[in-house]
Amino acid sequence: MSIAAKKDDAPHILVFSTNNISDPGIDMAGSAHMHYSTQVQVISVPCSSGIKPTWVLHALESGFDGVFIAADGTDCAYLPDCTTRTGVLVKKTQDLLKEHGRSPKRLRMAAVCSVCSESFVSHMANFQKDIVKIASD
Amino acid sequence: MLPTDISQELDYDICIVGAGIAGMESALNLGDMGYRVLLVEKEASIGGKMILLSKVFPTLDCASCISTPKMASAAHHPNVTIMVYSEIDEIERKENGTFGVQMHQKPTYVDPNACIGCGQCETACTVAIPDEFNFNLDARRVAHIPFPQAVPKKAILQRNGQSPCNHTCPAGVKPHGYTSLVRAGLHDAAFELHLETTPLIGSLSRACYAPCEKECTRGEFEGSVQIRAIKRFIADRYYELNSEPNYGPVKERKDKRIAIVGAGPAGLNAAFQLARKGYDVTIFEAEEKAGGTMQYGIPDVRLPKDVLERDIKNVTALGVSIRTNTKVESLEKLKQDGFDAVFLGLGCSRTRSKREESADGTTSVKTKAPGRVRSPNTTPFADEIKLAANGVIEINKTLQTSLPYVFAGGDAVTGPLTITAAIGQGNQAAYFIEQFLQGHPLNAADLKELECTDKLAVIAREARLSTRKPTKLLKRENVSKEEGRKAAKLPLTEEEARYSANRCLDCGNCSECHQCVSVCPSNAIDFSMQPIHHQIKVGSVIIATGFELFDAHRKPTFGFGKYPNVVTAMQMDRLLSPTRPFNSVLRPSDGKEPDNIAFVLCVGSRDSQVDHRLCSRVCCMYTAKQAQLIMGSLPLADVTIYYIDIRAFGKGYDEFYEQAKGMGVDFVHGKVADITESSEDEGNLVVRFENLTEGKIEKREHDLVVLSVGLLPNTSAQGMFRGTSIEADNFRYIKEMDEDMEPGVTSIDGVFVAGAANAARDIPDTILHSGAAAVQAAAYIENLKGLVC
Repeated sequence: MSIAAKKDDAPHILVFSTNNISDPGIDMAGSAHMHYSTQVQVISVPCSSGIKPTWVLHALESGFDGVFIAADGTDCAYLPDCTTRTGVLVKKTQDLLKEHGRSPKRLRMAAVCSVCSESFVSHMANFQKDIVKIASD
Repeated sequence: MLPTDISQELDYDICIVGAGIAGMESALNLGDMGYRVLLVEKEASIGGKMILLSKVFPTLDCASCISTPKMASAAHHPNVTIMVYSEIDEIERKENGTFGVQMHQKPTYVDPNACIGCGQCETACTVAIPDEFNFNLDARRVAHIPFPQAVPKKAILQRNGQSPCNHTCPAGVKPHGYTSLVRAGLHDAAFELHLETTPLIGSLSRACYAPCEKECTRGEFEGSVQIRAIKRFIADRYYELNSEPNYGPVKERKDKRIAIVGAGPAGLNAAFQLARKGYDVTIFEAEEKAGGTMQYGIPDVRLPKDVLERDIKNVTALGVSIRTNTKVESLEKLKQDGFDAVFLGLGCSRTRSKREESADGTTSVKTKAPGRVRSPNTTPFADEIKLAANGVIEINKTLQTSLPYVFAGGDAVTGPLTITAAIGQGNQAAYFIEQFLQGHPLNAADLKELECTDKLAVIAREARLSTRKPTKLLKRENVSKEEGRKAAKLPLTEEEARYSANRCLDCGNCSECHQCVSVCPSNAIDFSMQPIHHQIKVGSVIIATGFELFDAHRKPTFGFGKYPNVVTAMQMDRLLSPTRPFNSVLRPSDGKEPDNIAFVLCVGSRDSQVDHRLCSRVCCMYTAKQAQLIMGSLPLADVTIYYIDIRAFGKGYDEFYEQAKGMGVDFVHGKVADITESSEDEGNLVVRFENLTEGKIEKREHDLVVLSVGLLPNTSAQGMFRGTSIEADNFRYIKEMDEDMEPGVTSIDGVFVAGAANAARDIPDTILHSGAAAVQAAAYIENLKGLVC
């Protein structure tokens, strides 16, 4: 299969990354020439706890197949309880997705550190694989 | 009346010099306590040396994963202000116990408020130089973001003075710029860059005296870069593809009219630059054709007139009208005719050279030394503007004559000039005329360029340069002797031009090719940026300038700098780090994965030969760490460590050392005498050492040798204080006056030292010491607050 064909078939993923911690790691995946799908689009935000559930729903309604939150974990520069807040946000968002008849599995969160390029690449590959499964269920 | 709180008068409570792990830690501690902190860092990102490391010992935690959150916290802390790419000039202790800090921010040539960190300038930049973040293991661009985790994540252009070729050109052309563009295959961009400075590219490519080539640093080696030939390649190629300019008059017009008297190089250039700004420009030329010296002073064979005509089209395409056979007799008349400013780009009267066409179509010159008998044609204006005794026009430094709306340049001002210098004057005149018409003050310092780069430093940097001979410029066949050799040379082919451009040494780093300017989406690039000086009042100072690494060149018997496969431990840490340059451990000479690696401990530590008898405290452990990481990264590799003693003194350190041994690292109790290259296996190295256990001299071969270099004091802060100096200990580290009882307290009351600026320390000890220094500074500030002013 050619790369172009792969690109068309792969699930479309929106990534929210945090500009202090996750973004450098994702950026480095590119600068180190690691491969991840061109169907992945990244938007950086200051802190993952500021993401709104409606944004995620809007992304899925606008044609994205999955939304991935690359969070800071305990490394957040702004809030000591960032992980807890983001956890609450993810729960709320998944409830919202269910209400709208969408699988909560289309939202995923993981901590991505400033050098976690390899783990980000593998997260993307696994998430895309899982989305294909959700779609076929 | 209540006592005045001194801290109200301060800009910041505490200034911390150095934003490595020590400075950041002190800043965060003090910021959390509510003190206002200024954190000054000389590099473009905070993070110091820790962000460069792979892992920390003995926990093997990821160093950059620990550093980045600290960096982000410091950058976003409401009480911490960071100034990067900044240096302290002087610190003065005032009588009331506060401090005056003089400092400056170095120009990054990128507006940090506009830069969005997208890295497009980096992709477009045409100059690659060794990457100091990777300790020269690979290359980076001059326009760059220091590393992906940089805080702030802003691009900088690291300029190392102006390249000698750019600096010397009297026309202001950027030879380094177009050379680097040709090297990158961007030939159209090279033409367009040249066009920024002058429309007379084809003419200059034949008739310029090429001072750039005389200044070229490559000339100190096997011959200078053939800059003029490269220029000719650019011009000829472009004119071949574009018989007419692909632009017209500027759409945004300005309502001022400018008269240019004389269509020589100065006049054409001034007209071109002003027309590009949207002014209505008319050139008056007494002769039948435009071009001045280039038309009448240079023989066809050297400067074919079709090339000159095409150059002139670059000017007329902008809507500039050239009235030939028109003599201007009165400046007042020009004013009456509605011209708001005048540029006198007058040439000299000259002896016309006579040319003869020969049967084979070539021309020959009959008059010897054409155009040599010259004097300025200024007579008609003698009543209107001041002239000097020799007939040249008197001007001030901004080329303005005694009549404010009249500016002058070229032969009429200086006497006979080269066309290159006349172009320069035309450009300057255009700048000052615009300033004049806009009502701005005229300031000659506006056009000041960066200082020239130090050629000797470039020569030293290029010590291991490979030889690339200059291209032999081929001669055209069947050329008559009179035509001269220069004229008869053939232009470079594209291959030759790119080869020649590749010989450039990028002396000043930035070539001024302006590709970054073209691609930057937020117009952040600013070549006019100057250092910004600040005077700041603070209550206390913490010195956290860290350490220097021992320069392995100082141990010549170990072959660092001579043999590519002898690297330092810092380079090995980079090869192992998550932000590593190659995604694998590779040896420099051939990119092979090494399978037999040796470490030599105590390089530059405990060594009176290099006047550093101290133990550096970290080398044994970082070497054991690197050995373990190598075994993880290259499971089949053999690792040998040559040591005098192993000093594993901290918590968990001895276990860490035993763990390395258990993994199969061969610890050899031996003192290394020298390292040489193997005569059999290319790139391999022979380590000769005294086996201290068996008491004999042995030799072993390895394919990569790592020198575990020690830590040296960073003495840069020691001369910072006005009227006093901060005391140093016997090893030149900043001295703690009572290291048992008062950590961080220096010989100057109110100045504290944190981390490795005081002694070689590992990361946990540095963090501990920085906390202590922060508390000392806080106590000092509280004392100050209690004082009555």
